[in-house]
Amino acid sequence: MGLTRRQFLWAGSGVAATTVLAACGVGDGDDTAAKPAAGAAGTPRRGGTLRVGALGRAAAITRDPHGSQVNESDYLITSLRYDTLTVPAARSNTARRLASNWASSADLRTWRFTIAKDAAFHDGGPVTAADVAWSLRRLRSTPAGAARLPGIRAENIRAEGARTVVLVSDYPNNALPLLTRLTTFVLPKGTADSAIATAPGSGPFKLDWFRDGNARLVRNDAWHGGRVLLDAIEVRIFESPQAMSNALLAGQIDVASNVGAVAARAAVGRPDVRIIQRRNDMAMPIVMRTADGPFADQRVREALRLAVDRDAMVRQVLSGYGAIGNDVLGAGDPIYAVDLPQRRRDLDTARRLLAEAKFDLNWTYDLLTTEDVAGLAESATLFATHLAEAGVKIKVVKQDSAVFWDKSWLKAPLYTTYWGTNDSVLFFASKTLVSDAGQNETAFADKAFDAAYRKAISSNNPSETKQSLHELQTIEYDRSGYLLWGMADGIDLSSAQVRGLPELPGYGRVQLERAWLAG
Amino acid sequence: MARRLSRRYGPAVRRIAMGIARRVLMLFLLLALVFAAVQLLPGDAATATAERGSNAEEVAVVRTRLGLDRPLPERFLHWLSDLLTGGLGTSARGEHVNQLLSGPFANTVLLGLLALVITVSLSLPLGCWAALRPGGVPDRIVSTAATAVLALPEFVIAAALVLVLALWTGWLPAVTVANERGAPTSWSMLVLPVLALAIPQIGWNTRIVRAALADEAKAAYVAMAVLDGLTRRRILSHHLLPGALPAIAAGAATSTGMLLGGAAVVETVFNYPGVGAVLAGAVADRDTPVIAAVVALTTALITVALLVSDLVRVRASIVRARP
Repeated sequence: MGLTRRQFLWAGSGVAATTVLAACGVGDGDDTAAKPAAGAAGTPRRGGTLRVGALGRAAAITRDPHGSQVNESDYLITSLRYDTLTVPAARSNTARRLASNWASSADLRTWRFTIAKDAAFHDGGPVTAADVAWSLRRLRSTPAGAARLPGIRAENIRAEGARTVVLVSDYPNNALPLLTRLTTFVLPKGTADSAIATAPGSGPFKLDWFRDGNARLVRNDAWHGGRVLLDAIEVRIFESPQAMSNALLAGQIDVASNVGAVAARAAVGRPDVRIIQRRNDMAMPIVMRTADGPFADQRVREALRLAVDRDAMVRQVLSGYGAIGNDVLGAGDPIYAVDLPQRRRDLDTARRLLAEAKFDLNWTYDLLTTEDVAGLAESATLFATHLAEAGVKIKVVKQDSAVFWDKSWLKAPLYTTYWGTNDSVLFFASKTLVSDAGQNETAFADKAFDAAYRKAISSNNPSETKQSLHELQTIEYDRSGYLLWGMADGIDLSSAQVRGLPELPGYGRVQLERAWLAG
Repeated sequence: MARRLSRRYGPAVRRIAMGIARRVLMLFLLLALVFAAVQLLPGDAATATAERGSNAEEVAVVRTRLGLDRPLPERFLHWLSDLLTGGLGTSARGEHVNQLLSGPFANTVLLGLLALVITVSLSLPLGCWAALRPGGVPDRIVSTAATAVLALPEFVIAAALVLVLALWTGWLPAVTVANERGAPTSWSMLVLPVLALAIPQIGWNTRIVRAALADEAKAAYVAMAVLDGLTRRRILSHHLLPGALPAIAAGAATSTGMLLGGAAVVETVFNYPGVGAVLAGAVADRDTPVIAAVVALTTALITVALLVSDLVRVRASIVRARP
C-alpha cells in the first residue's frame, strides 16, 4: 500500500481550542507528555534498546527537520532528536516541550513562549531564544511554511532576551500554541543547509548513526524534559506494513508503528504480541461538493449521510478497528460535540429526500479515490454498494495518487480524502471549512459557520468560545459537505515486554521518550 | 605471430566491438525512452512531491528548481552530460542520486549475484542429470519440477518461504535489517531473498541446460563418440557440455535481467534495502533522474552479462572453426 503521503504535517499544524478553554490564552502545559497507557503496569526499568519499525519509502528519505516529511520513519527519528515548542497531549491536546509556558496579549495576537530552563543541545550548548526564532523563521520559509505557521510571517518571529520567543499573528488567534506542536523543530541558530543532517538537537535521544532511512539513537541523559529510561532506540524503515508485521512476529523488532488493522487481525490471540489501538487516528471522509454540481442541494447530502451503513463500514473497511463517525471532523478533540444525535442508516428518509430534491437517479456518479492509505479505496467501494440500496448509482474511479491530488482534490464533486491527528475541531474548521480556507475540500461557504469560527478563535471568554465551537460543529453536522462515516484507530504492534508506549492519535505516536522494557 | 593472432581473433574482436557499440546505443535510446515515458505519466515531480496544500506558485517554484520548465531534450542531454562525468544528477527531493543509490545498488547486486551463482550451480547439474537419460525417471522429475517452479511468481515463493522458514519454524529471519553501513546485519538475512529469486531461475535454466544438451546430442560427432564406446559421463563433459555452453551462457545472461526485475518484488517482501524500493518510490514521485539512474546501472549490468555470454559464443565458434 502507499504511505500516508501528504497527510503529514497537515494534521499537525492544527488549531484546537482546549488551551483556550483551560487557561484563556495562558498555557502551562500541565500534561507534559502522552499518557503512557499500554501496559503501564510495573515499575519502570532503566536500560535496553527498543527496536522500532516505521513506514517509509527509500526514495522519499529526508533528513531536514523542516523539510517535507513523507516518511513516518524520518519523522520519528527527527522527533526523537529534536524538540518542538509544544507537543500533542491527551488531556489538553497541547503540552509543553521546549516551551515551558506561554501567554498571549489581550488582543490574542502577540504570543510569548518561554524556553525551558535546562534545555541544551546535544553538544552541550544552551538552547536560546535566538536558536528558536531562527528555527521558526527557517520553517516559515519552506514551501509549506505558510501552512505550518499560518498567520505568522517570518518577520513577526523574534527573540526577546535569552529565553523568550515572540510570535505575532496577523489576526487574533487563541489557538496559536497548537500551531507549534509538530513541526517547530529547533536547531542551533545559523546551521548551514549542508550541515542540517548532523546538527545537534535538544531532544530525548542523540543520533548515533543514520543510514538509508535506518538510525540508531542513544539516550540524552541531560534531557530537560525528564528521565529517559531506554539506553537506545533503533529505528528501522519498512516499505510495506506486511514486512513490518512479519519482522515483529519473528522477533526482529519490538514495535511496529502504525502497522494497520490487517496486521492486528493476524496478531490476535498471540500472547507474545500486544495490539495498541490509538483512537481517532485517521479520518477518511467522503467529500461532497457543496458549491455546485449534483450534491449542492443540502437534502441530497443529507440523503447520502443517511444511506451509508456506518457500522458496516467500520466492520468491513477497518476490520472493526475504529468507531462510527457523526460527520463532524476532529472527533478526538475534548470539546467534540458528543450531544449531536448520532446519524444512523435510514433508507426511507434518504429516498424521500432524494425525491424531494429531484436528484437524478438514472445518472451514474463518479466517486474518485486513491490507494494512498489502507482501506481508502475499499471504503469507496463499500460506500457505493450502500448507496445503490438507496437507488443512487456510484462508480468508483481509482486514480493514481499524483493525478488525484493534482486534478481531483478540491475540484471533483465526489471523492475520498483522509486526515491524520484528528484531535482538533478547530483545525478542520480553519483548514477545510471556513469559506476562504486554503483546502476547502467541499467548497463550503456558509456565513453562519464563518461567523462562529471567527468568534471561536478571537474570544477571550472561555464559555463564549465553547459556545461558538458548539455552534460551528452543529452547522458542520447539519450542512457541510463531509460524510464522515467512521474514525480509524491507529494500530501499533509491540512485543510483550515493551511498556509506556503512547496512545495518542496521529503523530502523537512518536513520543517514545517514556517507553521502557520490562525484564 | 601478431598477424596470425589478428587473423584468428580479428573478426571476433570486431564482432565484440560492434556488439558493445550496439548496446551503448540501445542504452542511450532506452534512457531517452525513460525520460519520455516519465513525461507522459500524469503529473510531474513537482506536483508529486509537493505537500498537500501547496499552492500553484509554490509548485511552480519547485518546478523551476527541478528544471522541469525546460524542454525535455535539454533536460535529457543535461543529465547525460552529468552521466559522462560520473554524476547521476539530483533527485526531486534534492538528494544526490549517486549517494541515494550507492548502498541500495550494491545490496541489489549482491542479492542478484548470489542468486545467479546458486542458479548456475544448481541448474547445471540438474540439467545434466536430466539429459543423461532422456525420458528416464530423473529427466521426468527434473523437467516437471523445473516447469512448475519457473511458473511461480517470485512473490508467491517469497511469501511461502517467510511463512514456513521464518514465522513457523523460526529458522531464518523474516526480513532484512540493515546496519550502519546500509548492509544486511547478518548473512542469514540473505538466505530467503536469494532463494526466492533463484528458485524460478533454477527452473528456467535447468530447462535450457537440458534442451541445449539434447540439441547437442543430435550432432554427428557425438554419435561418433558413442560409437567409440566412450562413457556417458565422458561424452557429457567432453563433447556435449562444451557444445551446449553458448546456449547455457545465453540462458544465464537472460536470467541476470530477470533476477534484477524479480529483485524489486522480493526486496519489498523481505524489506531488503535494495534498489527496487528506491525505483518504486521514484516512479511514484515522477523522479526522472533517479529512474534513469537505476535503468542505466541495471542495464549496464545486464549488458556486461550479455557480453560475457557473447564472448563464450565467440570462443566456442573459434574452437569449432579450428581445423
